[in-house]
Amino acid sequence: MSIDVELQAAAIKYKNKQKVKDRFISAFIGIFAIAWIFPIVWTVWTSLRPYKDVRAHGVFSMPKTLNLQNYADAISRMDLPLYFWNTFAITVPAVFLTLFFGSLIAFVVSRYSFRWNVSLLLLFTAGNLLPAQLVFIPVFKMYITLGKAVGIPRLLYDSPWGVVLIHVAFQMGFATFVLSSYMKTVPKEISESAMVDGATVFTHYTKVMLPLLRPALASLGVLMTTWIYNDFFWALVLMSTDSKRPITSALGRLQGEFVTDYNLLAAGAVIAALPTLIVFFVLRKQFVSGLTLGSTKG
Amino acid sequence: MNSTATGSKKAHRRRAFSRADRTTLSAFVGVPLFFHLLLVWVPAFLTIVLSFTYWSGISISRIKFAGLANYKNIFFDTPAFWEAIQNNIIWLAWFAGIATPLGILLAYQIDRQIRGHKFYETAYYLPVVLSLAVTGIIWNFLLRPDGFVNGLLGRDIDNAISFFGNYHINIYVILTIASWRHIGYIMLLYLAGLKSVDMALREAASLDGATEWQTFKKVIFPAMKPVNVIVIVITIIESLRAFDIVYIIYGSSAGFPILGTLVFQNIAGEGASMKGAAYAVILFVLSIGPIIAYLRTTFKSDVQ
Amino acid sequence: MSEVTNGISRRSVLKGAAVGGLGLAAGGSLLAGCGSKATGPLAYGARSVDAGPTAQNKALIAAYTAKTKNEVKYNATESNAFQNNLSQYLQGTPDDTFEWMAGYRMQFFAEQGLLADLTDVWGAIGDQYADSYKIASTGLDGKQYFVPKSWYPWGMHFRKSMFKDLGLSADTVTNWDEFLKMLDGMKKKGLVGFAAGDKGGWEAMGTFDILNARINGYQFHVDLLAGREKWTDAKVLDVFTHWAQLIPYMNPNVLDLEWDGAMQLLLQKKAGSMLMGSWFGGNFKEQSQADYDDLSIIPFPEINPEHGRDTVDAPIDGWCVAANGTNNSGGSDFLKFAGDMEGVNATLAAKDANGALIPMTSANNGQDTSTYDAFQKEQMAVMDEAKYITQFLDRDTRPDFAGPVVGPAIQSWFKNPKDVNKIVDSLQAQWDALPPLA
Repeated sequence: MSIDVELQAAAIKYKNKQKVKDRFISAFIGIFAIAWIFPIVWTVWTSLRPYKDVRAHGVFSMPKTLNLQNYADAISRMDLPLYFWNTFAITVPAVFLTLFFGSLIAFVVSRYSFRWNVSLLLLFTAGNLLPAQLVFIPVFKMYITLGKAVGIPRLLYDSPWGVVLIHVAFQMGFATFVLSSYMKTVPKEISESAMVDGATVFTHYTKVMLPLLRPALASLGVLMTTWIYNDFFWALVLMSTDSKRPITSALGRLQGEFVTDYNLLAAGAVIAALPTLIVFFVLRKQFVSGLTLGSTKG
Repeated sequence: MNSTATGSKKAHRRRAFSRADRTTLSAFVGVPLFFHLLLVWVPAFLTIVLSFTYWSGISISRIKFAGLANYKNIFFDTPAFWEAIQNNIIWLAWFAGIATPLGILLAYQIDRQIRGHKFYETAYYLPVVLSLAVTGIIWNFLLRPDGFVNGLLGRDIDNAISFFGNYHINIYVILTIASWRHIGYIMLLYLAGLKSVDMALREAASLDGATEWQTFKKVIFPAMKPVNVIVIVITIIESLRAFDIVYIIYGSSAGFPILGTLVFQNIAGEGASMKGAAYAVILFVLSIGPIIAYLRTTFKSDVQ
Repeated sequence: MSEVTNGISRRSVLKGAAVGGLGLAAGGSLLAGCGSKATGPLAYGARSVDAGPTAQNKALIAAYTAKTKNEVKYNATESNAFQNNLSQYLQGTPDDTFEWMAGYRMQFFAEQGLLADLTDVWGAIGDQYADSYKIASTGLDGKQYFVPKSWYPWGMHFRKSMFKDLGLSADTVTNWDEFLKMLDGMKKKGLVGFAAGDKGGWEAMGTFDILNARINGYQFHVDLLAGREKWTDAKVLDVFTHWAQLIPYMNPNVLDLEWDGAMQLLLQKKAGSMLMGSWFGGNFKEQSQADYDDLSIIPFPEINPEHGRDTVDAPIDGWCVAANGTNNSGGSDFLKFAGDMEGVNATLAAKDANGALIPMTSANNGQDTSTYDAFQKEQMAVMDEAKYITQFLDRDTRPDFAGPVVGPAIQSWFKNPKDVNKIVDSLQAQWDALPPLA
């Protein structure tokens, strides 16, 4: 009896002490959090002020006018619909194919046992971690050689499909790794009963596994979307027509064009960041779980 | 889970595949494998071969065998290489010693649902969602000679603090920017892991009179092994592969040499030579170590 | 490979243009108009997204299309991205005609078979250009691969109003001592004397060029860049010794500023002078006509009386036709128009957003220099005084040496000028380690 009381007292004391401590910790983390988002806030603030105003009165002057003129200008001068469409045309097929291919491999290695299952997984996962620059020259050469061989020079080089394929080839590794970990958590019995029922491998995949994978695919898809959306390296080196490049490259162009008008540039940066921010806020749960599927399950 | 796996393995082995099934299976593995090998491993191998040649990257008939000349050039005649190695090492040390632990610490505190944890989580995670192109622009606003910080310090463009140019401080400036993203990334990874650690386990430990640090060290950290492995690998790989943020700020000039930009500077553009390929191979050799270590840990159970 | 040819070509490049003046203005346009409808649509690759050049290009293209009915697709890339990607661009699916530079940087790609032969273009419009331009447009095989558009000199830029306030004039800054005295006076007034930026890694190459030419002469400079002289030579060390004397007058954040940052110093009257190519006059004009009118250029002062002020960096910009383009004859046809006085006039007629003409010093003999504004006339004067013309360090030596080696070397010299011996040793070692040219 008395021991219980003592324990409780100790627990309460501990909790009180912890409460005070927590307040400090919370305040500390809070101050940092504000510092953390300050650069973004400052960019938004910058984007709302006209360049002329800042030039005349300085960066720290009280704003005479705050408006969305920079946004209007950025939209009209950046050709935004075009570049957003380019991004869309690269990101959507790339994410779809990555998930598709990743799920195929993951399905085979986690549901059927072959001797080379582990080696296959190793290969894909290691490939995902290689530096992109390591493959750049040969990939470029392959693309133009193939294009010339079939008589369509823009088959892969200077085409969204070339960029899509290289993303798929790289990201497939991550998708495979994550999805196979996830599939291991799906009870084998489900698969076994399907096989006993005489389902083919194909129906096993489409009718049994795919529906079960849906939450994992959604999470992974969100994550992949932000990764591929944010890339600019491949679009820079595998494309020669500027009007085919995605929005992230267009931003570099804006940076070159308006070397002095930071306010306009700020508006451009905010616009380019907006889609990923929206995705993040709307699909936050999927995003987080996509990132951690591979590490917590299996 | 292991036992069911072995059980079903036996069940599968007995099963003979029909011809259609065999075709399906080969296609399922073959098509993705084809693209992966063709666009990742074959080019990687070719680059390794090319690093032993002289070539301007244009006409294939002009490739000439160079032996170890490119590597000799890098190791003995290129001071930028050693600067880059030094910078990559500092990068790694900073990430491993400061940024990653901070991310873990944050995750641990936020996971305890301290007041405002929802807002904190979002605030720290926000930078991870932004593209590096945007990140570069944002920090440029703050740190350029006529930017926010210099303005705050009352410095004009002619006597501004040289955040990107002064080589005593620019690495820490770059690392701050890189950490701005890295800490949030690590925090989120860890946070998700922590959610799967049994709350009861932690409460029991704290009631046992264990300090917070002891609880973390003895209970939580070991339970987080799979996440720990991922975090370690991400820290190492990101430090070695670092490229985007430096490219955004310095272009392809050597204002701040790291391995990633040296590869690009030497392999792309007008001055392309296979010295760039040799840099890429060095980068590959350095990163393959952690990759293998990671894979061994991750797939240990599968191999057994 | 091309060093020898290069050496020769540099010697007299532009000389004729600068002195030549009017020449063929009237006859020019008659020769043009070889544009036939058969050449069909083509693509134009611009290596700039700036407002001024874009307006000029669009005006030129509009005039060409109006005349020939050939549609021209316009593909503009930011200049750094364009240059970083040029090798891939030319091997892949390039535009038919694209903007590039004369000299070594053109010859390198011509030699790799990536540029189309423009001898017939030169046959049609060649008499509108001085011989020196033809030499700068000629590849190692003796064929032409380039059509010049414009040029600009590198020199000391300052603001007339500031010079006046300081009691200075062009005549009082002619040699090194006077130059240092000028810088000293500026420093005493709290100004940056010698605005400099080198974050991009190429800006300071211009300073090396001119110091080397002034101290050691044109021939030594050309020979050094061609590998016939050694970087470890005491003469090169002398260049750095002189350069180090300028450091106290520079802004302290050289490695934090790109060329436009240095320009801002002059624009905001925080710096008294700046060594730069005159192309940035357009940026001054974008700010205001008053800023542009205040801008002035003089040749870099004499250091060694033996060489006087006999050399100037004056890069030529222009166009090439990509061999891998889909319409080589269309590209050539376009350049026949662009290089002809008719095209030049269309380019010069373009107006910026404020409705003002965009200053450009054309390479064509026919451009009427009497219409030049004061700043352009000064640029001509700088050219006239020089006996030898160089392009620019990164246009005068191997591309795998200039960008990846010289750029970082100068940057590390700025980091620690005391390391100069180590730096020149390393420069020579890296030159020696370059692969043989195929």
